[in-house]
Amino acid sequence: MSSTITKLNAPLTQAFDFQPSSELQITPTLNTLTQKLAGFDTLTSALEYAAKGITGYNFYDARGNLRSVLPYSALRENARVIAKRLFSLNLPRGERVAIIADTSPEFVELFFACRYAGLVPFAMPVPVNLGSHAIYVQQLRGMLESGQATIAVANIDYVGFLKEAAEHVGSLQWIGTPAELSKLPIKDIDFQENHPDETAYLQFTSGSTKASRGVVITERALMCNLQGIVQNGLEIKPTDRSASWLPFYHDMGLVGLVLAPMVTQLSVDYLATRDFAIRPLQWLRIISRNRCTVAFSQPFGLKLCAMRARDSDLKELDLSSWRAAGIGAEMIRPEILRNFAEKFASAGFDANAFLPCYGLAESTLAVTFSKIGTGCKSIQIDSKALIDKKVAVRIQAEGRKQSEFVNCGRPLPGHIVKITNEDGKQLPEMMVGSVLVHGDSVMTGYYNNAEETNKALKPGSWLDTGDIGFLFEGDLYITGRRTDVIIVNGRNIRAQDIEELAEQQPEVRSREASAFGVSDEDGTTTIVLVIECRLAATTERQSLTTRLQQLVYMAFGVNCVVELVPPHTLPRTSSGKLSRFAARQGYIQRTNLNDTQLSAVESGDR
Amino acid sequence: MSETDYNQIVQLLCDRLTSLSKVPEVSIAPETNLITQLSIDSIKLLNLIMEIEDTFDISIPINALTDIQTVGELAALVHKIKSAS
Repeated sequence: MSSTITKLNAPLTQAFDFQPSSELQITPTLNTLTQKLAGFDTLTSALEYAAKGITGYNFYDARGNLRSVLPYSALRENARVIAKRLFSLNLPRGERVAIIADTSPEFVELFFACRYAGLVPFAMPVPVNLGSHAIYVQQLRGMLESGQATIAVANIDYVGFLKEAAEHVGSLQWIGTPAELSKLPIKDIDFQENHPDETAYLQFTSGSTKASRGVVITERALMCNLQGIVQNGLEIKPTDRSASWLPFYHDMGLVGLVLAPMVTQLSVDYLATRDFAIRPLQWLRIISRNRCTVAFSQPFGLKLCAMRARDSDLKELDLSSWRAAGIGAEMIRPEILRNFAEKFASAGFDANAFLPCYGLAESTLAVTFSKIGTGCKSIQIDSKALIDKKVAVRIQAEGRKQSEFVNCGRPLPGHIVKITNEDGKQLPEMMVGSVLVHGDSVMTGYYNNAEETNKALKPGSWLDTGDIGFLFEGDLYITGRRTDVIIVNGRNIRAQDIEELAEQQPEVRSREASAFGVSDEDGTTTIVLVIECRLAATTERQSLTTRLQQLVYMAFGVNCVVELVPPHTLPRTSSGKLSRFAARQGYIQRTNLNDTQLSAVESGDR
Repeated sequence: MSETDYNQIVQLLCDRLTSLSKVPEVSIAPETNLITQLSIDSIKLLNLIMEIEDTFDISIPINALTDIQTVGELAALVHKIKSAS
C-alpha cells in the first residue's frame, strides 16, 4: 500500500507547497465585450465570441488561494492547439474522448479541444469513497465500454485508475495525461465547422457498474437549454459573476456552471468539490470576496454550509451580492433552505435569492425554473389524499397531516411538462403522476443503448423523467422519485446498482435482493437492502451482511441496513419481478417504523 | 518511519474516532475497519479529514483514500504525507 501512496501522493504534495504567484489576477467581472446571452449555433462558435473579451475561469485551492486563471481567450488558444495534437491521432469525427473530470483548467481545455477537433468528450467522476479503489475502477470501465471511448485522459493523480480500468477495453487507442497529450505532434489542418445536429458530448448519469448510461446531447439541445437557462431562468446581466464547487462531471456543474457562464461571457470562480465538502465555507468566502451573483447548489451543499458556519465566520462574510442561489439536483426540502437563510441572514444573504429549479441530464440540464428574485415558494398538501387518491389537496384546516412541496416553476420556453397516469393518459392539474417533458433540450437517447432509450423516450418524443409530481397554476411540484432512485446526502443512487452489487455475491441469487430508501422524521434517508438468504450459520450470515455493507459503502459512500429474510419473503409481481415498493412496505411493517415522514416518498411509488 | 510519530497519529485517530463514531461496543485499534466496524459515513469522514488536515497541517489527496480501509492504514497515510511535507 505504501508504494501506491508514495506514487499517488507525490504530485499533490508538491501542489500543496505551491506558493500562489502574486502576479496572478482573477479575470474581471465586467467585460470589454458586448454581452451576448447564448444564441450561438455551437459551443465553439460561443467560445470564439467569448475569447474576444477579458473574462474567464478562475480556480481556487482548499485554502482559498487563487491557483490558476484561464481567460476565455487563453482557453480558445490552448484548446485549438490541443485539437491539432488530437488530429495527429487521425480519428474519424465523432469518436469519444473519456476524461476524468477534476476541477481543473486542463479538463476544460481538453473538453473544448475535442469540440474543435470534432470529437465527442465525456466526463468521468473522480473517486470519493474510502476503500473504493476496485469499485471505482469497475465504474470507470463501465463508462469506457458504454461510451466506446477511443481516447482516455486523466491527470497524474488519477491516470493509474484509468489504466487499470482500460485493460480489456477494446475501443481505446490512446491513454494518458494532459501533459503526455501535449507531447503529441501538431497536425495543422483546418478546423471543420460543427453542425448543430452533431453530438456535443455524452453525459453519464449516476450509476456504477455495467448499467452506465451516456446521455447523448447534441449541439442543438445544448444551445437550446443554455439559452433558456441564461435568458429566462437566470436573466443574466453583464454585471453577473458565478462561483461553483459543483463537480464538472455532473450536468449541473458542467452545463450550469461551466458552459452557461461561457455562452454569456461571464467570469466564474471554482473550488474543487472535495475542498468544498471539507471546508464548505470557502465557497461562501469566494462569493463574498469576489461579489459573485450566481451560484448553484444541491440542498445538501447548503446543509453542509449551515452545519459548519460559526458566528465568527458569519462576521467576515457579505453575501448580499448573491442574487441567484439556484437549488436543484435533488428533492428540495424547504426546511433546509429556511435553515440556511436564517443562518446567513446576518451575513447579508437574501432569502429571495433562492431559485428552485427542476431538471435532469436527459433534458441537458434544466426543465423548469421558478421566478427569479422571488425566493422559495411552497404549498401545504393533505398527506392522506396524496397517498390514497394521488391528488394534491391544499390544506385549509389546521391539524390535518400535511406535506410541504416546493414550487419548481414553469418550463423553459419551447418546453412542455405534462403529468400522466400509469396508462400514459394526461392528468389535470393537482393530480399526481409521472412527469414527462417535451422540447428541444431533450436527449436523442442513451449512447448505443436502444433498450434504455426506448424506456425513457415515449412516443411523440416525450421524455419520461422517472419523477413524480403535479402541476398547480402551471407550476411544477415534485413529490417524489420512483422507487428506483434513492437520494442520500445529495447523491442519486440507483436501487438497481445496489441490487447488482448484492447479486454478485455467491450467496445471493439473482432477483433475491431488493434495495430501497426509508426516510426518518428529519429527512435523513437510509438505504435498506433486503436479501433472501438460505444461510443458517450465524458466522456466514454475519459475513454476508458485513461484506454487503462494505461493498455498498465503497461504491456509494453510504451506510446501509442489510436485512436477511427467508426465501419467498420478498413480494413479487405476477411476472416474477420484485416489487421494491412492496418490499419496502414489508420492511416497514417488520421493523414497526413510524410512518409520519414516509408520505412524500410513498406518493412517488408505483 | 519514526515509530513515535506513527503511534501518536494512531492515538489521535482512535480518540477522534471514538467520539465521532458513537459505536461504544467497538474498542478502536489500528486494525479496526472504518467502514464495517465504525460506520464512518461521508459527513463523519469529511469532519475527520478536516480535523486531520488542520491538526497536522497537511492535505490528504482523495485518490489515496481509495486504498484505505482501517485506522492503521489511515494513520500510515497521514504519517507518509506528514513526513514528505
